[in-house]
Amino acid sequence: MNASGGENQRDGITADLTRPQAWLSTTAGIVLMLLVVQFATGLLLAFYYVPSVDHAYTTVAYMERASSSGSWIRSLHHFGSQLLPLFLFLHVIRLFSCEAYKHWKKSWLAAILLLALVMAAGGTGYSLPWDARAFFSTRVAEGLVGGLPLLGRLSRLWLLGGDDISTVTLSRFFALHVLVTPFLILLVVGWRLAKIGPIQRAGNTHVATNDLIQQLIDVGQISEDEAKSPMFRSVIDRASRQANNQKDEGPEQPSRYSVVLRNCIAAGIVFIVLGIWAARFPAPLGPSVSEVTADYLPRPGAQFLWLYQSLKYVPGGLGSIVGVIIPGLAILILLTLPWLNLSSLKKYTKEPQRLIAGVILAGFLLWVLAMTTTSYLSDRRDPRIRAQLAKQSAQEETVRTSPFRPVSIKAGADSTAQSRTDNAPPTAYLRLCVSCHGPHGEGATQGTLRFPPLIGVSNKPGRTVSDIIALLNDPKSYGIEPPMRSFATKLSEDEKSQIAEWIVRLK
Amino acid sequence: MSAEPQSSARSRRSFLLLFPVSIIAGVFSSLGVAAVRFLRPRIAQASPNKWLDVAPVNELPRTIPLLQKIRADHVNGWAISQEEHQIYILPGGNQVLSAVCPHEGCEVNWEKETNRFSCPCHESYFAADGSRISGPARRGLDPLPSRIQAGQLQVQYQSFENNAAERVRRT
Repeated sequence: MNASGGENQRDGITADLTRPQAWLSTTAGIVLMLLVVQFATGLLLAFYYVPSVDHAYTTVAYMERASSSGSWIRSLHHFGSQLLPLFLFLHVIRLFSCEAYKHWKKSWLAAILLLALVMAAGGTGYSLPWDARAFFSTRVAEGLVGGLPLLGRLSRLWLLGGDDISTVTLSRFFALHVLVTPFLILLVVGWRLAKIGPIQRAGNTHVATNDLIQQLIDVGQISEDEAKSPMFRSVIDRASRQANNQKDEGPEQPSRYSVVLRNCIAAGIVFIVLGIWAARFPAPLGPSVSEVTADYLPRPGAQFLWLYQSLKYVPGGLGSIVGVIIPGLAILILLTLPWLNLSSLKKYTKEPQRLIAGVILAGFLLWVLAMTTTSYLSDRRDPRIRAQLAKQSAQEETVRTSPFRPVSIKAGADSTAQSRTDNAPPTAYLRLCVSCHGPHGEGATQGTLRFPPLIGVSNKPGRTVSDIIALLNDPKSYGIEPPMRSFATKLSEDEKSQIAEWIVRLK
Repeated sequence: MSAEPQSSARSRRSFLLLFPVSIIAGVFSSLGVAAVRFLRPRIAQASPNKWLDVAPVNELPRTIPLLQKIRADHVNGWAISQEEHQIYILPGGNQVLSAVCPHEGCEVNWEKETNRFSCPCHESYFAADGSRISGPARRGLDPLPSRIQAGQLQVQYQSFENNAAERVRRT
């Protein structure tokens, strides 16, 4: 009798595996697998990556060109980050189709939160290789955030960690990318998995005959002797089997096993495709920021093409609205949808939540599809752009196949401390001379005026320490024209000799 | 009566469980193999040792060992770093010793009063020629290849395994 139960179960699984629409509900498994891949590959990349502008590119190039499997791991991370939002979006659509915002509010909330977090992780991750495209994407992020109404300036400063994109900015993006967003993603995923655990277990409990009998004994309905009689036992057995069969029979409730199996198979297929793709196509690595030429055309990853293309159409100041405010509002509405009070909309539609979510999701889908296609098409149609993009990828390929050369890093802190004290100009110089000759004596031009550099002046004839002191007192006698003027009275004798000695040491 | 079919159902279930488990194992093992290859430490090939200038011949010590610092390039992964090493030039400049104690790798000091090298970490003592006197170190201080070229004393920097009686070069 138990064997027939097993047959039923297997037939159920076979039927379930061949039911096409059942495969639509495997997005969760695929998303989970992609998250595992992102966490694993990201963790590996962190073993070599250095988040500073002078080493980030080198360390990424080292992984790409010199380490074993580095290129594959990086490519998995790169293309995985593009598949993740895609499958999360499909997951949200599936949840929408079964009205999760009404029945499984927490699943809905988790999926939308994950979508937002994954996009944020992608955005911050783009800056990390510090190649040309990373630099441009950081610039765009800066512009989008800086263009926000009211909070623009403040949020730009907070994002950059200063007034300009610098190594501090890169550290911030690094921390956001590898600590903040993964932690939040883990929280959401962990909360979600802890949630489904007990529900599924309860739904699949088979009430065993022995358990039932024990319960009857416990509540005092029957004595232990009665329970031992074979007739009584068979009655209970039949009853419990019936109860279990009724539970299994519902076509809308596939067994937990077939759900897991289907999710595993779908996730496995996606992983194999991603793995082969990543082995064939390495993740892009443009020229380093210092080597980039003016004709370089940066292109973002597939998950941001819609944003990139949209920004071409909106006038400058409105970019932040398209890129930050509209997506942000859409996410916020979708997040709060299960709890929104929409009774005022009841007169237009029976299902106001369905209408709102449908409009947002369909609108976003159409927008993304249209913009992404346009972006691909416009790159393909313009022969000049096509040629330039082909040239860039050929250059990337040449760099990728050339052997990696390690770079020299500065030795201990003592040498930097040394050069700092060597270079520190006297305070009197900073007061009076710096505005024309520059903070390190490098000179400057202002319009037609040229202020000569002081570096290396001591190599010229007639520029000893005493000469320079004399020159400060009377520039004319050294053949020096205005705007250099006499500092005979503006500087003390001590200050003059300090400046002169500093200039002689300048290198 | 039901023992036999029950166990066959169970074995079928565990057989069915093999599919998802093997898929998950496949994903993790391919990532795992890549991880091992990726993280495997890389030992730079023993590059032809560079002769490093230490001191002009006329500045060589006459009576006591002279402590000098030399900088040697080390290639580790993506980086070439210059690391500072301490060496002792013995009187006359015929021999150069690494200042690294062959016990745990601290740098030894020259004790003028007792005319010997002493390790500040675990009190190993070495004679003026570098040979071991006492302490936990199992051999004397390590000599480095040196030569005199164009009026300069030059050495090749090398490092050796700790805690061995034999001198085994680290690659």
